[in-house]
Amino acid sequence: MKDIIRVKCLLSTEVERLLNQQIKKEAQSSSAYLAMASWCNQHGYDFSSDYFFKQSDEERQHQLKIYKYVLDMGGTAISPEVSNIKIEYNSFREVFEEALDQEISVTQSLKNIAANCHKEQDYITVEFLNWFFKEQREEEYKARRALELFDVIGEEGTGRWQIDKHVGGIVYDSEA
Amino acid sequence: MQNVAVAPSVELLEVFQTRNGSVSQSDSQKCWYVNFAGHHNRFDYRSIMKLRKAIYGIDIEALLLSSDKAPDVEIVFICACDHCYVLTLLEIIAFKELIEGTFVMLELNRILHDRVYSLIA
Repeated sequence: MKDIIRVKCLLSTEVERLLNQQIKKEAQSSSAYLAMASWCNQHGYDFSSDYFFKQSDEERQHQLKIYKYVLDMGGTAISPEVSNIKIEYNSFREVFEEALDQEISVTQSLKNIAANCHKEQDYITVEFLNWFFKEQREEEYKARRALELFDVIGEEGTGRWQIDKHVGGIVYDSEA
Repeated sequence: MQNVAVAPSVELLEVFQTRNGSVSQSDSQKCWYVNFAGHHNRFDYRSIMKLRKAIYGIDIEALLLSSDKAPDVEIVFICACDHCYVLTLLEIIAFKELIEGTFVMLELNRILHDRVYSLIA
């Protein structure tokens, strides 16, 4: 019996489901970063607000990258519903704690997809995911560095103003 | 709903069958014939995927627990496809069993192609 499904689609049902789940996760991240940008802006943290706007754009690009990949492979990419986005934060620090948690969760989720791909010998998707792993190195680095500013500078006096100013300057320039 | 007559020249390979229906594949036409609830319908790749999504999407538990006075029937309409099923609760369960079994067999066929046939060729 011919494998008709394989002719039409390179992805297995499970990998396609996981990639669509990841598309949703990236969309959630993008919206969450927008909410963080809004909160920072309202509280006068302009540099952090800009930082989160940029992060939101990046997450949206990640979402589209996976979305197009699923389509290129002959799969069905599902436009995700985004809900339950947190819009209020108790403190400036909490915003960055949430941002790091979010990036860790995205990394874990990508690892889970890769593990499944290895199990199924889907090396094409593994190769595609490698770009994202490199990206997560940068994302987690930036989120961790931002949070470390709170300990390095401290929040007393003009501390938060200083932290905000330095958030805009966080860059990841590793060539490795 | 249209019933599809299969041309005599089309060779069908049975994918999966239960007491309530069967699914066969035509290699030459690259499609499947679903025989269920008195209907014999032809599905191409896109439409069988839509059928699967529609059937898996029915919340059987919710239908069982529902105390509505509405009749226990579900209309399964597949967008951009000629087929439409009006199914009772028992038929939904039976149809789901048929579709699930079919996709297990198709997945098994895929594994065989991946691990056996393509390596021998």
